[in-house]
Amino acid sequence: MKNSFLIAFFLFIGHWSFAQQKYTLSGTVKDKKTGEILIGTVIRISELKNTGAASNEYGFYSITIPEGDYTIVVSMLGYKSVTEKLALHQDIKKDIFMGDTAKSMDEVVITDERKDANVTDPQMGAQKLDIKEANKIPVLFGEKDILKTIQLLPGIKSGGDGGSGFFVRGGAADQNLILLDEAPVYNASHLLGFFSTFNSDAIKDVTVYKGNAPAQYGGRLSSVLDIKMNDGNNQRYHIGGGIGLISSKLNFEGPIVKNKGSFIITGRRTYADVFLKLSPNETIKKSSLYFYDLNLKANYQLNEKNRIFLSGYFGRDKLGLQGAFGIDWGNATGTFRWNHFINDRLFSNTSLIFSNYSYKISIDAEDASFNITSKIRDYNVKHEYQFFANPKNNIRFGINSIYHTVTPGQITASEGSGINPIKLQDRFGLENAAYASDQWSVTERVNVTFGVRVSSFSALGKGDFYSFDEEGNPSDTTSYASGKIVKTYINVEPRISAGFILDSSSSIKISYARNAQNLHLLSNSVSTSPTDLWVMSSAIIKPEIADQYAIGYYRNFRDNTIEFSAEIYYKSMQNQVDYKNGANTQANELIEGELLFGKGRAYGVELFVKKKYGKLTGWVGYTLSKSERQIAEVNEGSWYPVKQDRTHDISIVAMYQIVPKVSIAATWVFNTGSAVTFPSGKYMVDGQVIFLYTERNGYRMPAYHRMDIGLTWDNKKTEKFESSWNFSVYNLYGRENAYTITFRQDPNDSSKTQAVQTSLFKFIPSVSYNFRF
Amino acid sequence: MKKIIILFSGSLLVLLSACTKVIDIDLNSKDPRIVIEGNITDVPGRYAVNITQTVNFSETNSFPAVSGAVVTVADDAGNTESLVEVYPGNYQGTVIQGVPGRTYYLTVVANGKTYTSQSKMPLTVQYDSLLLVPNTAFGPAYYIIPLFTDPAGLGNRYRCIETINTTQVKELFLFEDQLTDGLMNGQPILNFSDSLLTGDSVSVELQCIDKPTYLYFFSLLQTVSGQSGAPANPVSNISNDALGYFSAHTSQRKYVIIP
Repeated sequence: MKNSFLIAFFLFIGHWSFAQQKYTLSGTVKDKKTGEILIGTVIRISELKNTGAASNEYGFYSITIPEGDYTIVVSMLGYKSVTEKLALHQDIKKDIFMGDTAKSMDEVVITDERKDANVTDPQMGAQKLDIKEANKIPVLFGEKDILKTIQLLPGIKSGGDGGSGFFVRGGAADQNLILLDEAPVYNASHLLGFFSTFNSDAIKDVTVYKGNAPAQYGGRLSSVLDIKMNDGNNQRYHIGGGIGLISSKLNFEGPIVKNKGSFIITGRRTYADVFLKLSPNETIKKSSLYFYDLNLKANYQLNEKNRIFLSGYFGRDKLGLQGAFGIDWGNATGTFRWNHFINDRLFSNTSLIFSNYSYKISIDAEDASFNITSKIRDYNVKHEYQFFANPKNNIRFGINSIYHTVTPGQITASEGSGINPIKLQDRFGLENAAYASDQWSVTERVNVTFGVRVSSFSALGKGDFYSFDEEGNPSDTTSYASGKIVKTYINVEPRISAGFILDSSSSIKISYARNAQNLHLLSNSVSTSPTDLWVMSSAIIKPEIADQYAIGYYRNFRDNTIEFSAEIYYKSMQNQVDYKNGANTQANELIEGELLFGKGRAYGVELFVKKKYGKLTGWVGYTLSKSERQIAEVNEGSWYPVKQDRTHDISIVAMYQIVPKVSIAATWVFNTGSAVTFPSGKYMVDGQVIFLYTERNGYRMPAYHRMDIGLTWDNKKTEKFESSWNFSVYNLYGRENAYTITFRQDPNDSSKTQAVQTSLFKFIPSVSYNFRF
Repeated sequence: MKKIIILFSGSLLVLLSACTKVIDIDLNSKDPRIVIEGNITDVPGRYAVNITQTVNFSETNSFPAVSGAVVTVADDAGNTESLVEVYPGNYQGTVIQGVPGRTYYLTVVANGKTYTSQSKMPLTVQYDSLLLVPNTAFGPAYYIIPLFTDPAGLGNRYRCIETINTTQVKELFLFEDQLTDGLMNGQPILNFSDSLLTGDSVSVELQCIDKPTYLYFFSLLQTVSGQSGAPANPVSNISNDALGYFSAHTSQRKYVIIP
């Protein structure tokens, strides 16, 4: 199967023949100091117009050009460009080592850098996050967090005050595919959403695609957040760490064999519970309230042609009162990757990926106890080729297979607990995909990335599957044996993104992408909860499908130091899932009878201006958008705004280097309040006042705005030791942003009712200290 | 159990420096809607159907009665009774008596519209006593556990009403036997709002309710707990878009004095 796929593919690309004598220059781009492989560096040939390559996610590059003498220029943001003369009279393997610019802060102008990538690259709706820059942006409790930093980009909206949840282009939270070294992370938040599971000390590269992701990604409607962990220094050992208000972090990295392999271990733990121990109250003393993260990664170059990577993530939250109640939840992921250089133009990668998310609720009484556990587990295989056909075509194709097991709930109970232990049926699903795409430089002015992903999803036995009548009562049951197919859906997902360069500093891009999603998160609460339920497509739940069309105008000013972009998108979504009123979400075998289905649409304009160089850097983003749903049973079947619909959204980020050692950063955000359901009237039943609701999401929360500031002070750096202090204030001017608005009887006058606003974070200062030796 | 999570999360938020204030919100006005609340029990005596209307949020809590309605209750044993309006909006019946296992039919004709509902009174479940369990951890001083043994077979649903001294507690307490089929009940009625003092007299009424009535109170509980992402009106078992419910249920009551 694999071979015939390969053969077919080479037949398909057979029209690229090579009449002229050409040779290939290939290799890996690495950081000179640490040996870390560098992703997305741009390699250009000065003598040839429109000829270049970018290093892939494993740092590999390959360019095939006619025989000759050339000057190659390799550049990347934050690194000094490398320029080298080269005589290409045979295939050449050349690893490139780049030094960072950190030591020469004054040297502002970096010669010959590919600064116009945002204009020339056909990819749209994508943004790469600069981790060094992200670390300077002030955040709540000083806990640097990439998920909070991406919320400052246009089209990406915060899930709530201080929260790490996010919405992309009007999509729901579960429509974001979050990948950590290729492993899907099902719940990316800690501590009720206030912190993300990503310890930024362990992260090397973050790219977010706002619904126009290339064909190698799939499975979610709204976005892909592709996060790559650090590989570790393969030159010398280092220990680094940080001490903050909420948590401490420590990392240890070094060579396994110098130049050949390295490892890195990064850990983080919060210590709010340490303060609980100081409490005089026995109950509080016995409570636990913490989370931890552990990131591990190792890589080893077996020989010239083979390199392997092993990475893992483990994180867990624990909340609880000893002897009463506890909840803990967390993710575990593992990825094994094998890079194989078949020849200097054909690169392959094979990944074996494991991902597990689980939670456990335990109730303990003196004489009885019971536990509820739930989990989602994936076994995932990916096999991919990248063929650097010629300077004009970079082809990628591969297959992907994921076996999902969802354990919706299992209740164990001790004798005498008054609870019958039960286990809801495990659900099984197989997701397969094959994809191919080509990054094609059509002419000097036209670049196209096009491809297709064919995905299939099969709901599998073993299990009983139900059908439901109109009221949602089970009407029929069918039993399937283990491995038997219950239902298969096949989706063809075309993706195309084209860039038309107008002149040296401006371009227009258009794109279309279809995405299908077969895992759906059912959430019935105000904020995301660790106990929200994942369900898979079945005979009743159909795959969610999104079609997104986008067009954008890109222009750089002042010799590419200022980037401007304007993107317009329209997205239509089918088979959106929601709960019915009064749905029983707990341990319910018949959950599919409690669902409603409808469609969605989202559209908007995103404007973005970024200043990338100089003492003052930063950006301004503005989004004007709308996101709506239509469900026959809600609001009499008319379109209504979804919770995450926010008409206006503004983010301003400014960073200023005062002196080489001291920099300050400030952010300001503003957005229209979320759509929300408020009562329009009231009535009395059973002697109690009950509120009357007339329309879902018919009201708005008050507008949200906030300013944060931060200061980073680098201490004197030596060869052996470097350290820095970071001070920040969250919500500088103490705006009382509404977290919730609730309605109640006036405690002072029982004949009246009132609205009460709860705000969370008002002026939160924090400090942290980071070191490395 | 979900309640504990909510409370625990709530207290965590308070730790994180939450602050609250009363605000003004301009809420839409709506035409009044009819609210019907009917109960028939197996306790001998009168039973009542109350009919009122909704008011706008900003108004005081005085809910206009709907007078002059024609209210009829029938059962599946062939009995029919027209209820008498005893005071405005309160319609009472005396002839029909609630019998477990029978189905009751309610018809209300008011303001030119007809509203109907039906409810089946479940069989009585033996209610033994109340158990007080001292609580040393977080929460109320005592857990109150209504002791009864769920009959074998799924589908039993219960509602408890707690009264402390003479005041009926606001909280809704619902049980169903999905996880507890055939077992002696061990779940307390978890009331975190009212404190229990020595000498307080606490009574807990146990009602066996049918599925539509359970769904009404369950969906009401989801909305009043404030945790539902999209609060909505509870799922009523009365036709024609009326608010409220009609419940035929058994009723038993036990008392305990807080030591």
